[in-house]
Amino acid sequence: MENNVSHALYILQEPVQYLALSFMALMYIIKIRQMLKKPIPPEKAELKGDRVTGAVESLANVLKPWSMESTRNNMFFYAEFMIFHIAVALTIGATFFIPLVPSLMTPAVSKVFMLFMGLAFLIGLRRIHRRLTVPEIKIISSPDDYFAISLMTVFFAVGFVAMWMWISGSPDTGWMWIFFLLTTFFLLYVPFSKISHYILYPFGRVNFGRTFGGRGVIHRDVKKQTWNPK
Amino acid sequence: MSEQGDKIGANEERKWPTKTEFTPEMLEEMEKLLPGTLNRVVTASLSGCIHCGMCSDACHYSVSIPEDKTLVPAYKADRFRKWYKSRYDWMAQVFPSFVGAKKLDKELADEMYDKLWGGCTMCRRCTFNCPMGVDYGMMVRAARSIMQKVGRVPQHLQDTVDTHYNAGNNMAVPQDEFVETIEWIEEELQDEEGCENFKIPVDQKGAQYFLTLNPREPKYYPLTIQATAKVLNAAGVDFTISSRYWDLTNYALFNGNDPDAKQFALWQAEDVKRLGCEYLLAGECGHGFRALRWELPNWVGGVPFKITSVMELMAKLVLEGRIKTDKSVWDGHRATYHDSCNIARSGGVTEEPRIVIRAAIKDFVEMEHNRYDSYCCGGGGGALAMPEFTPRRLAAGKIKADEIKATGADICLQSCHNCTDQLKEIIEHYHVNAKVMNLAELLAPALVL
Repeated sequence: MENNVSHALYILQEPVQYLALSFMALMYIIKIRQMLKKPIPPEKAELKGDRVTGAVESLANVLKPWSMESTRNNMFFYAEFMIFHIAVALTIGATFFIPLVPSLMTPAVSKVFMLFMGLAFLIGLRRIHRRLTVPEIKIISSPDDYFAISLMTVFFAVGFVAMWMWISGSPDTGWMWIFFLLTTFFLLYVPFSKISHYILYPFGRVNFGRTFGGRGVIHRDVKKQTWNPK
Repeated sequence: MSEQGDKIGANEERKWPTKTEFTPEMLEEMEKLLPGTLNRVVTASLSGCIHCGMCSDACHYSVSIPEDKTLVPAYKADRFRKWYKSRYDWMAQVFPSFVGAKKLDKELADEMYDKLWGGCTMCRRCTFNCPMGVDYGMMVRAARSIMQKVGRVPQHLQDTVDTHYNAGNNMAVPQDEFVETIEWIEEELQDEEGCENFKIPVDQKGAQYFLTLNPREPKYYPLTIQATAKVLNAAGVDFTISSRYWDLTNYALFNGNDPDAKQFALWQAEDVKRLGCEYLLAGECGHGFRALRWELPNWVGGVPFKITSVMELMAKLVLEGRIKTDKSVWDGHRATYHDSCNIARSGGVTEEPRIVIRAAIKDFVEMEHNRYDSYCCGGGGGALAMPEFTPRRLAAGKIKADEIKATGADICLQSCHNCTDQLKEIIEHYHVNAKVMNLAELLAPALVL
């Protein structure tokens, strides 16, 4: 059984992962290309601010909870969001580090990963509960929304247990096998799901930043004020 | 295009064929129109929503009418998004209901009509609170554009655009009547103490500023023109009003018809060139300011003159010391200021009105949500030209009425005629003890001449 798991784990970790990753990259390239082919609305008005600086500031919006009322007034929600997304990065990172640079995954490092995975699992449960119970969220939720958050929550739980087994000296376990199987599924599924929103994030934020940066709404350039007293 | 002496407005009369309900032929036509509206901003906005719900507290509809969850911005936008997904989302091609996609049918089209005409003022407050940068304003305008093209547009809103198209201004004020009104206002102004030599020049070639007006001013609010002219005269500003294309409004911004929007913009741009003015000066009108300042150059492909607003010009005059004021005329009064969405969020003008206000009155207090965080009053997006949605519009104004009341102000200032009408209505409806005024009306009595 142990040998079977190890062999299956190897296949999942190496060739299957690479194939799935290539598929995901291809889908994203198509998606990005489709978006880039869309025309950008022109801006021929005399600007009051800088569109490039606006776009950069807007992209960094994710790190500035004070910049939006919706996060400014919900700092706990924002903290959950940050932990959840850091956990996503670490969990995906773990699926690369474990097969490629296992020496990096020392017990100390692994425990940090586990901490985020564990917290993200709890946050995932809270988000599922919120989606099921808060009327204004429930009414906008599609099956994809429920499936995506449930999948992520399970992913964190499995990752947590797999990492725990890893630092306990049992790397080749069924949990690790499930962890990598889920990762493969993610690579194939995510381009078609709402989870791929991170590909769209730069487009939305850059559009926002260019528009409102140029209008002096964000990163106002005082030198270009029509009322500049100087 | 009309030249000087020609008919003002389009050469041929037009009445847009509107429809009272969607037919299968209209739905088919809408399917053909959809791809043409999908620029990068609209596409990213249609595909970028993650249903996080962060917008739910950002909308004056959902905040003021919390019992109706279908007024949450993401829900409203999803009426359009469902259709978009059915055409373009990869997963939806196999499992449409899994991602909430839905083919365009009469039921969905009716929901789009209800929510995107009557449940959104395109104020972009949700956009500013969206982590993904979804531009609801652009997206809703794209949806309206499609519906308008097939004739499913609120009748009164379309009538306003048609009137502008046919007459050159949206209230069909005849040229001679307009000029007579301006002459009468000039006489009234000259009757004021210290204003004997003040003028309101009409068609003065080479004037520095080409002042534009909202048609409600010559029709119903002549004192606003009088107050603006008083301020400009007191500062020695070289301005003129055109007898032809003086209307700064552009309701095609609201109904989504780009050819009409471009036509109105072209008329005005040509008129500024005819008079050889350096600046096109937007009067106190929210969407009018945005349409001139930020959209006109795009619609006409750039302009050889500068564009600014009365709000900005008055602030400049204050800062440069070109006008002197006596704030004591407003002693005993407290003012607050409502930021029009098109002037602040979509226009970038937030501090200039406050410079003017602080020059004119001592007691000024901000509302809880101000500047870019200001809630829409409920009168934007052409809402006042959609009487079929009046009860919802008044209900959506509750948050703004509550905030005005909380300031204890007896003067509610603003710089937009749609806001004026909506604020007057909600102030009466919610029993707020405040008078609605624009900036020139505040500044003019405080002038030291």
